Amino acid sequence: MKLYSRMLAAGGLAAVAGLTAVPAQAQAPAYPTRSITMIVPFAAGGPTDVIARIVTAHMAQTLGQTIIIENVVGAGGTTATTRAARATNDGYTLITGHMGTHAASVPLYPKLAYHPEKDFEPVALLAGTPILILAKKDFPPKDLKEFVAYVKANADKVNAAHAGVGSVSNVSCELLNSVLGIKPVGVPFNGTGPAMNALVGGQVDYMCDQIVNAVPQVKGGTIRAYAIATPERNPSLPDVPTTKEGGLPDFQAQAWNAIFAPKGTPPEIVAKLNAAVVKALDDEGVRKRLLDLGSVIPATAERTPASLAALVKSEVAKWTAVVKPVAN
Amino acid sequence: MSETPSHGPVKYIMPKWIRGPQDFVGGLAMVGIAVFALWASSDLQGMRGFSFGAGTAPRMFAYLLLGLGIAITIVGLVKHGEHITTYAWRGPLFVSLAILSFAASIRPMGLIFSAFTSFLISAMGTPETKWKQTIIVGICLTTFCSLLFPYALGLPLQMWPKFMIR
Amino acid sequence: MGEVFSNLGMGFGVVFQLVQWTPAFLGGMSIPIPVNILLCLIGALVGTLVGVLPGIGTIATVAMLLPITFGLPPVGALIMLAGIYYGAQYGGSTTSILVNIPGEAGSVVTALDGFQMAKQGRAGPALAIAAIGSFFAGCVATVLIAVLGAPLTKLALAFGPAEYFSLMVLGLIFAVVLAKGSVLKAIAMIVFGLLLSMVGSDIETGASRMAFNIPELADGLGFATLAMGLFGFAEIIRNLDAGGETDRQLVQQKVTGLMPTRKDLKDSTPAILRGTALGSILGILPGGGAVIASFAAYTMEKKLSKHPEKFGSGVIEGVAAPESANNAAAQTSFIPLLTLGIPPNAVMALMVGAMTIHGIVPGPQVMQKQPELVWGMIASMWVGNLMLLIINLPLVGIWVRLLRVPYRLMFPSIVVFCSIGIYSVNNAPTDVMLAGAFGLLGYWLIKHDFEPAPLLLGMVLGPLMEENLRRALLISRGDWTVFATRPLSAVLMAISAALLVMTILPSLRKKRDEVFVESEN
Repeated sequence: MKLYSRMLAAGGLAAVAGLTAVPAQAQAPAYPTRSITMIVPFAAGGPTDVIARIVTAHMAQTLGQTIIIENVVGAGGTTATTRAARATNDGYTLITGHMGTHAASVPLYPKLAYHPEKDFEPVALLAGTPILILAKKDFPPKDLKEFVAYVKANADKVNAAHAGVGSVSNVSCELLNSVLGIKPVGVPFNGTGPAMNALVGGQVDYMCDQIVNAVPQVKGGTIRAYAIATPERNPSLPDVPTTKEGGLPDFQAQAWNAIFAPKGTPPEIVAKLNAAVVKALDDEGVRKRLLDLGSVIPATAERTPASLAALVKSEVAKWTAVVKPVAN
Repeated sequence: MSETPSHGPVKYIMPKWIRGPQDFVGGLAMVGIAVFALWASSDLQGMRGFSFGAGTAPRMFAYLLLGLGIAITIVGLVKHGEHITTYAWRGPLFVSLAILSFAASIRPMGLIFSAFTSFLISAMGTPETKWKQTIIVGICLTTFCSLLFPYALGLPLQMWPKFMIR
Repeated sequence: MGEVFSNLGMGFGVVFQLVQWTPAFLGGMSIPIPVNILLCLIGALVGTLVGVLPGIGTIATVAMLLPITFGLPPVGALIMLAGIYYGAQYGGSTTSILVNIPGEAGSVVTALDGFQMAKQGRAGPALAIAAIGSFFAGCVATVLIAVLGAPLTKLALAFGPAEYFSLMVLGLIFAVVLAKGSVLKAIAMIVFGLLLSMVGSDIETGASRMAFNIPELADGLGFATLAMGLFGFAEIIRNLDAGGETDRQLVQQKVTGLMPTRKDLKDSTPAILRGTALGSILGILPGGGAVIASFAAYTMEKKLSKHPEKFGSGVIEGVAAPESANNAAAQTSFIPLLTLGIPPNAVMALMVGAMTIHGIVPGPQVMQKQPELVWGMIASMWVGNLMLLIINLPLVGIWVRLLRVPYRLMFPSIVVFCSIGIYSVNNAPTDVMLAGAFGLLGYWLIKHDFEPAPLLLGMVLGPLMEENLRRALLISRGDWTVFATRPLSAVLMAISAALLVMTILPSLRKKRDEVFVESEN
């Protein structure tokens, strides 16, 4: 009986301790104390999702907490980004944004419910995915110079496939077309898969797309790659010249992916997350998997929150000059 | 869905010259839907040169539905057909309430609460319900769901009310 | 041919591969475990579960399970994901037949005759024939992938926007044919479905169409939302009507025989054969192909049948044909993925994601570079289909017993399962409310003798039709003749026209007779 009451008392004490411990913990700088939710604004298995998963798997080890990936799709990723912008800024809800959600969306959707610069704390750049200029296998031009001449001469005949309004392939093709000064017919598809299928089948003429999707087809000879829109050639497609080499230096495009936290997330949490990303990007295993995808891993200087903020700023400006708003 | 006629024996208020009230009302409702769609798509762009605008296809199909609705209405006028059957109120009301309650409570209250309450509310939809039995089955079902969906299928559903987690 | 056998042999070698498991507690003793067989079984079981639970879609489940597969070897991971995919095709027919809720677009037609069979106490034979038909179709389609995979890829590539549009036109005409009652009302329902499918953002301009600034409508209405509402909720509400009781009593009391009779088998054999053939061909076409397969198979049976008027009142061919077709299509839809590395649908896109995460880049060379992966997967499909048959046939008894649960307990459970299912698709409460609204609409439609099946088909085919029409016209720069000048498209258009004439002529003739008879119809 005595033992029993002592147990009860102990239990009661523990409960009281537990109750008082909750607010104390909330104020303590210890982070993270529970699992973190990482919103990915695109479907599982897509380029952004794959990159986010590779990096967050390593980050979870560093931080000692699980990171749950939540794929929220819709409206070109802006649904998820809106949700992330409104999430509690305690560092437990993060988002892996990309060129579309955190730059091109600004000119694309005039009624956007968030602003990439004002509503987010930049955490770190994860990886860049270079854009390639691709064409169907029997497209007449042999190299980039011929391609430029051909599409300019046949501007009223050629068409360009893209993966839907606001997609990376769409906005990067807009950039290419504005550099070339042409307005070809844009043929919209529901995602990269169907667009690539049409290109392989020769139904459409050319397309701009991320390297991840293009490598196997280019290597298999089912489509043609004219150039890669990055300053350097990519190890996964070493034979494809850069746009600069091919005489089109103004066309530079990369689909970058980066982690953002809601505005007002404490700086020490951002710093901790940033350190975890940096550590992940230095890990051999992570690097190998990212490079296998054809991604470009940011150099040390490009991994700070400040440099990400600068990137977002310049990208918003860049796409605002090219992209027209969707009809509404 | 505003076209849904009110409950009760509609057939008595229909004038005699409408020979097929079921088709007549059905056709009118289709006309209503078509007009609504025309209004809803009126702000969309039409044809631009050779390419379709955003509004081309919706308006095309709305006009088509308008025509079909008129045709069905005329059939309802001239051809003898079914009367409108009576509408029950109890089933639709409580099933709708159960769905609404689930939608409203799943986010703040979690799966266990919302599944159980919506089970009970929908059970009110029939006079056959035996409450003791229903509550026992409801508890079993809620337990089953809270094991099945998050664990067996790995769906990220929140189990408990939000205020209990934090 | 010899090469195919050696490849398949390698594939089966991969599937039956044993991995030595040396757990510490056994003190160094190792147990051989057929890991891939187990993963295939898990996939098939999860798939069946996903298919049976209303609302829970294959895409959502594969997406959720994707991270789990990261820890597995790539072949095992893909075998399991593939198992979920075709397992769901088996399971999907179960709810269609038992409670008239199609879980996937492919099982909408199965509900037409399957549910009627259940009402007549023949749920057992319906479920069994669905499993048998699916198994047969799965076997044939697997062989087809192995033998003709590469040449069939050419068909997938020859299909441009013009051909797709013509195929969709054909699909919509199927929808008219499968209607039971008034052709006029069926067409109205299709058009209503087409209109509903246009809600959301416009593919070419991104403009928001008929979405009224509701964020959940910005990407359109989901199939699950509409199907659960129009079939699931509407059916429940209708059953709670006065008079519904006697109907339900019938379901519960008249259960006769669990397995198909000899006559059932004889009736459904040609249907299974034709369904398999149609499904295998249509499944290869990326996007849409697999959905049309089940509708096409049903329509073909109805047209070829000696008693077309019985379709819709519970004939076994009406279950056998679409179920064989959708399973055959589910298998052959792997062809573009395996030979080209291009995912033909959302589930396949997730599998591409799974491959890339494992460092395998799917593409035209994957068959040469990773033969054990490709052939292992193909062999696993056959094994998986066999497992599903073995799982599903004994389950028939359990499902049929489930029908004996009093309706007062059954319907609240269905409401809860459907609600959770719809919510889980996008984690959106609005979707659940929309489904409720569609439930009331569906109730009203039933009351006015409008059929929901053509509406759902219009909804599924609508975007494919509109988008491909617009693509075709963009590519041809406004030249409408492409639909007639491209040979494949022209053939499809000709079939559509012939079918339309065949459908409308008899009904016109009938109308003329009716004028004189003045019957109550």
